[in-house]
Amino acid sequence: MLARHYIGESWKHGLLIIGALIVLIPFYMMVSMSLKSQQEIQSISGGLVGAQEIQTFPVCTKHGYTEEVCTMRPYKYNFWFAFKKAPIPRYLMNGLIVTISIFLIQVLIALPCSYALAKLRFKGREFVFSMVLFCLLIPVHAIALPLYVMLAKAGLVDTYAALIIPWTISVFGIFLMRQFFMTVPDELIDAARMDGMGEYSIVWKVMLPVAIPALLAFAIFSVVAHWNDYFWPRIVITGNRDLFTPPLGIREFRGGIDSDEFGPMMASIVTVTIPLIVAFIVAQKRFVEGITMTGMK
Amino acid sequence: MHHSKAHIWFVWPAIILMIVILILPIFLAGGISFTNYNLGNSSFEWVGMENYEKMFSRKTYIKMIISTATYVLIVVPVSVVLGLVAAIMLNSLRFGADIYKTIFFLPVMATLLAMAIAWEFTLHPTLGIINSFLANGCGGIREFILGFHWLPWVSSEDSWYSVACANNMDFPYWLKDKKTAIWTICFIGVWQAFGFNMVLYLAGLTSIPRELYHAAEMDGAQSTWEQFKLVTWPMLGPTTLFVVTITTIRSFQVFDTIEILTKGGPAKTTYVMMYAIFEKAIQQNITSIGAAITVVFIIFIILLTFFQRYVIEKRVHY
Repeated sequence: MLARHYIGESWKHGLLIIGALIVLIPFYMMVSMSLKSQQEIQSISGGLVGAQEIQTFPVCTKHGYTEEVCTMRPYKYNFWFAFKKAPIPRYLMNGLIVTISIFLIQVLIALPCSYALAKLRFKGREFVFSMVLFCLLIPVHAIALPLYVMLAKAGLVDTYAALIIPWTISVFGIFLMRQFFMTVPDELIDAARMDGMGEYSIVWKVMLPVAIPALLAFAIFSVVAHWNDYFWPRIVITGNRDLFTPPLGIREFRGGIDSDEFGPMMASIVTVTIPLIVAFIVAQKRFVEGITMTGMK
Repeated sequence: MHHSKAHIWFVWPAIILMIVILILPIFLAGGISFTNYNLGNSSFEWVGMENYEKMFSRKTYIKMIISTATYVLIVVPVSVVLGLVAAIMLNSLRFGADIYKTIFFLPVMATLLAMAIAWEFTLHPTLGIINSFLANGCGGIREFILGFHWLPWVSSEDSWYSVACANNMDFPYWLKDKKTAIWTICFIGVWQAFGFNMVLYLAGLTSIPRELYHAAEMDGAQSTWEQFKLVTWPMLGPTTLFVVTITTIRSFQVFDTIEILTKGGPAKTTYVMMYAIFEKAIQQNITSIGAAITVVFIIFIILLTFFQRYVIEKRVHY
């Protein structure tokens, strides 16, 4: 933007590289620990990947596996044993079930509402919109306790429903879609009405396809937020491992089983963290757009 | 004009959910905060302001307010300034900006809970690479730079680094020491948040018309700093306001790192509000106190937003 000289460039790269290295430290630590053997982790040796010597793992034999089964390279052992110790696919599955259900219900509720707010005239429209604006101020985490009391009274603690219900209404989604629909020309809707389409089919057959770009950004925003959310699942899932979302699974690895063996623990954490990071690197532009969408006015 | 009753079916589900999920809980928290109700009890009594009096007189809650305020007052300005600096630097680069952007944005994306555990090991006194990096640097260039020996008023014997080297590698315990724990938590908070702010600032920067810089140059603003003061900073006003508000609201809600790394300790130095609500109301089942903290928390956030709206109306030049 500003006129700059060539010389100015290198010190900036220097600073940015230092910054990037600091940012990457925990990622390095995480990946490195998931690949190395326990001895290498404890002596902080072996660099990123360790020596990868074939060895027999004592914790493994203690769990009743034969010596033959327990002899392999550290990286393989870490990931193999992580999957043996905990139902990681189940956690990932739960993560998918919860995030996708939340997103679909959010759209089901928000899309018609935002269409009505943007394109239909009815009594109380302004009031409903100001209600949306007010609700934008309320972070759901802040009201987690009363929500928990309500769900507990309804007997819903330790169910998928508890994980999903508080997020079914996305006022942000309504706001976003409404702003988007305001830019859609009325002629499009009038033409659809002339063709004899009812309001329901207009929402799902005309407005939905038009809104795909905005919906995609919102999907990323929503899925990332709920995949990573730890606070809410921590509150409403008290003990049932079958309902653990990825972050709850991660927490269990750290706290309980074999916490004296760090390799498999980190391997499980890497497994759970990787899908989102890979998705991010592949579709970076869309992710940044989706997540910073909250920055739109 | 079109006449149909369709809007009723379009709007009512959203209205009902807003009332039940977002508005009702606020009143419920307000109500419970004036009682001695605990989840599971069949009855309760009204106790007036007792819960609030406890909150503002007991040491634990005073510490809660101090740690929350410390966290917010450190993380917000530091991550906003770092985000701005990073955005301006990236914006002026001729190549490589995309790589830095990806890296700085990684912490925003990655599951914070997983990263908290990664940080736990990174900062571990015996297993972590931070302290081993410091220990290996004793007597070398690292000691000179990180011990601030290059500052004229720091003597090379008394710097924190040299003292630690001399005392058998007695480097900080970061998360276990009550002198360093809250700062370490703040550091992780900044690490996580600044990439988000950077991306918002990058978007803000692209919307500044180039002509303004030419005009500023013609008006005599030659140096980068003068141009920043005259053009960039005022033009980024709305972005800054938004970035500050959203970072503040998020910082108030810090929880994941606390629960994994310190559990509010040592000596309650990292006992932030969200963790207090969790510990009191969920783990110890003292619902009423948790409700009182919730109410204070919501009041903070609403005040903050009104303040933001006020500033938008009064100060920000578009």
